[in-house]
Amino acid sequence: MTRIGTALAVALVTAAFGVSAQTGGGPNDAQIAAIVVTANQVDIDAGKLAESKSTNKDVKAFGKMMVTDHTGVNKSAKDLVTKLKVKPEDNPTAESLKKGGEENVKHLKTLKGAAFDKAYVEHEVAYHQQVIDAMDKTLIPSAQNAELKALLVKVRPAFIAHLEHAKQLQSSLEKKAAAINHSHMAG
Amino acid sequence: MNTQRRRLLIAAGSAVLLVAPAFRANAAPATYTIEIDAFEFKPATLSVKRGDVVRWHNADPVPHTVTAKGTFDSSSIAAGATWQYTAAKNGRFDYVCAFHPTMKATLVVE
Repeated sequence: MTRIGTALAVALVTAAFGVSAQTGGGPNDAQIAAIVVTANQVDIDAGKLAESKSTNKDVKAFGKMMVTDHTGVNKSAKDLVTKLKVKPEDNPTAESLKKGGEENVKHLKTLKGAAFDKAYVEHEVAYHQQVIDAMDKTLIPSAQNAELKALLVKVRPAFIAHLEHAKQLQSSLEKKAAAINHSHMAG
Repeated sequence: MNTQRRRLLIAAGSAVLLVAPAFRANAAPATYTIEIDAFEFKPATLSVKRGDVVRWHNADPVPHTVTAKGTFDSSSIAAGATWQYTAAKNGRFDYVCAFHPTMKATLVVE
């Protein structure tokens, strides 16, 4: 992804999570439920695309893992909201996340090969970082129901693990790109 | 009961007493459970005797693995599922979750 592309991706994600801060009191539990489900779904969609479109086996495997893990997290979130009889309530943060996710997928679909991998992984790094920040600053402190709060705390390490993994992948892609550039220059 | 029979019984009783501690030392293998919770193996280090059974229970909503290359590998353990391994070989085995390599732990078999 170009620098502008990356900046755009970060800006979209930041904007998505920034909305709730402007509304003052933070999201209620029904809104948090919608945010969690949407945040997972957005990453499932991007992961599915990476799984089918990438030609790099590590990127494909990462995409597949995103689909598996976020589907699992979403199932536990949906099970809990059903049990608590909370109806996820649409809100600007969830809507903005959804829009940002759709734009990311649309952008990724225009790319191929190494450019696709780079853009996908960069977005994953930015996305997971923003989700972690949102969990720490907004979602976990705002959650009223103890079980919902506990669920957020429990799934937080998933996002940390994904962030670390995405960063490692990003650095290995950069090394590979540098090696190719170097061999082209040498040749 | 005649004297001879009584002696035999005493001898048999003593034998049982002598043998019992030896049996206890080799007693039924112990079973340990490691919880996989919040993307961590808990406890992160566990020491067991050879022959003991170690169970990993996945309390997370996502699949994990228990993988010590060349020694044991659970392959995918679904959310809520358990995988067990009988400690067959002495040594110190560092293992990871193959899906989430940031998850690391150690099994010590003595």
